[in-house]
Amino acid sequence: MSGEHESRFSEAKPARSSGSPKAWLWIAPWLIGFIVFMLIPSAMSLYYSFTDYSLLESPVGIGPANYVELWNDPLFWTAVWNTLAYAGASVTIGTLVALLVAILLEQHIRGCGVARAIIFMPTLVPLVASALAWAFMYNSEAGIINRALGAVGLPTPNWLGDARYAMTALVIMGFWNIGTAVVVYSAALRDVPRSLYEAADIDGAGRLARLWHVSLPAISPAILFNVMISIIWSLQVFGAPQIMTEGGPDHSTYVYQLYIYESAFRYGRMGYASAMAWVQLLATIGIAGLTLALSRRLVHYRAA
Amino acid sequence: MTITSRQLRVSRRAAIGTAGACALAWAAWPRAQRDLAGMPRGRKVLHYWEKWTGAEGAALQGVINTFNQSQEKLWVVRVPISDISSKAMVAIGGGDPPDLVGLFSYSVPLYAEAGAAMPLDSFPEHEWRGETDYLPNIWKLLTHEARPRAGVNTCYTLGLYYNRAHFREAGLDPDRPPRTIGELDAFADRLNAKDAQGAIRRAGFLPNLPAWWPYSWSAYFDGRLFDSATGRATADEAGNIKALEWIAATAARVGRAEASAFAQTFSRSIHSPQDPFISGRASMIVQGPWLANFIRLHNPSLDYGVTAVPIDDALPQPELPRGLLEADVIIIPRGCKNPEASWEFLRFMQRRETQEQLALAHCKGSPMREVSSEFLARHPSRFVGVFDAIARSTRADVLPPTRVWPQYADLLGGAFDSVWRGADPAATLAAVQARAQGLIERASSLRAARAERGGA
Repeated sequence: MSGEHESRFSEAKPARSSGSPKAWLWIAPWLIGFIVFMLIPSAMSLYYSFTDYSLLESPVGIGPANYVELWNDPLFWTAVWNTLAYAGASVTIGTLVALLVAILLEQHIRGCGVARAIIFMPTLVPLVASALAWAFMYNSEAGIINRALGAVGLPTPNWLGDARYAMTALVIMGFWNIGTAVVVYSAALRDVPRSLYEAADIDGAGRLARLWHVSLPAISPAILFNVMISIIWSLQVFGAPQIMTEGGPDHSTYVYQLYIYESAFRYGRMGYASAMAWVQLLATIGIAGLTLALSRRLVHYRAA
Repeated sequence: MTITSRQLRVSRRAAIGTAGACALAWAAWPRAQRDLAGMPRGRKVLHYWEKWTGAEGAALQGVINTFNQSQEKLWVVRVPISDISSKAMVAIGGGDPPDLVGLFSYSVPLYAEAGAAMPLDSFPEHEWRGETDYLPNIWKLLTHEARPRAGVNTCYTLGLYYNRAHFREAGLDPDRPPRTIGELDAFADRLNAKDAQGAIRRAGFLPNLPAWWPYSWSAYFDGRLFDSATGRATADEAGNIKALEWIAATAARVGRAEASAFAQTFSRSIHSPQDPFISGRASMIVQGPWLANFIRLHNPSLDYGVTAVPIDDALPQPELPRGLLEADVIIIPRGCKNPEASWEFLRFMQRRETQEQLALAHCKGSPMREVSSEFLARHPSRFVGVFDAIARSTRADVLPPTRVWPQYADLLGGAFDSVWRGADPAATLAAVQARAQGLIERASSLRAARAERGGA
């Protein structure tokens, strides 16, 4: 059987260039999906961003008026600031927490497998269910968090009802989903060549030095990957604030996606929402590009 | 002739391909719709999108069943839809709308101006009398620029529920609820109870519990939010500022943080057994007539009364109740397949007895001018008369008839929040006024541009 396979492969003609009709046929399903569901809608949304369009009426061209209005819209800037604050806090703290957990899990102590499964499990819970559960946990009077804080004599903030704490509450809730990042970091940590640690040991490196000079540089591509994904996802945060706070109190958790959604479907302003979406896309590309540029000196790729 | 096992061998590719083809055929095989089970032959099917589910949906289904059995031409299928406003917009804009859609009264201006709700005066009238059938304020909600665009599907106003046992306990007369804002504050202060740490254990009255209608307070201070004659927003009118000043004063009096924390505790338990009023944690609360249904369900022994929401002490004609009247509506969307048939069903829905049947099940008031004595006698809330009086009052009002109302309402909601947290009411409303007026002017100039270009 294996010989049959071998002969088949050995007789196979070399792969043709990308212009082969067969190659196009194989990628056609993805290509059609991309064109129909991504490229055309994106192009249309760019067009709509220069129009007034309510879905119920035909679009009317208004030039860059939507973008000018955005610039002068205080709620737009509130949404921008809230989203950047959320992204900044959740990406930095989330990365540190995920790294710390992954390092702890790689210490080969008893129960690590169970702990890994428990940490990953929340990523399987639908967002709506976890947001509702967290909303109950954050309840200022009956929530488990304040009951625990109160039991040890700590202050019991009004997590979701006080503008000073609501965003913090959402950021903390975001850590619920660090499971995927922990898995990536764990895999990367296991992939670090033993020889590097042995060399570090010979040089007399302690635990912290091994972590700082060997582990972190070695897994820096994985860190960059997770940071990039976290940035993109956190700039698109929508579900948790929509379910838990509806953007309140006093717009303290009113994030960008929430404003896009309300503009499009509550206010009937699809053109304005499209302009917001394009601003977000360009900002995300800019932030991601900046992160990549800054990472060049910090990320170490091993030679194959 | 014998078939060998070798001849029977099926390649893996062929097996997977056959299985895939079978699955595809099963999925694509036409089958009878579950919705149409029991439908007699020869009926024209109408699809009716409505937001109601649960008991409210079941009540509507009862009405639909009555219609389906009352004639032999049509068969209405109720399709429960969540987030119906956005889905209706997508369906109508995409050119594939249902035959009828249940919306909210504030949607009427946008749908009318966009030509997305068919004008009802373009259909043959038959026994539908239009304006003379409805309460005057309901007719205002159903029309836009003098043309009827929607039928009504129940309506509501807000009343003040008060706990009679708490009144007695605080030395107040349970048969003499507050009539003015001054009395409301005084009664609330006597009913408030705090623990040693200053946390509210029982709220006398909090205007942010629940903060579902933050724009409604203007009505009790004679404030208007919109001038229909000029088409201008009037958010910075004296009455509106006075309403927010009262909100600010209340927040300062009861404690901003304490009251927010207390209200947040109940953010997900309104109408449940843990509802602040039903569970006895709030002595007075502003709610719609439907609360009676939930009280009967969760705490039938609760001793309570309902009265009109108190008004500013200085207002004239205090005997006339005030408040905003809102309604659910039903429209025939542009591009629907069976407009004439939809019109027939809509007319059925506008009959007094149909609206009464629905209002009884939903525990709401009737939107019709004439009300049967049976309706009042059989109503699940013994206080329906209070809500009915508000709906019929010449001092009652409706939401601003402008397409930007959803955004304007959110601006007012934001203003309520800001003022609660200490912002200056006049300055906050001035900012709302500027933004809302800008939105109104923008919408109106774009409408003119569309009209110039030739329609929607």
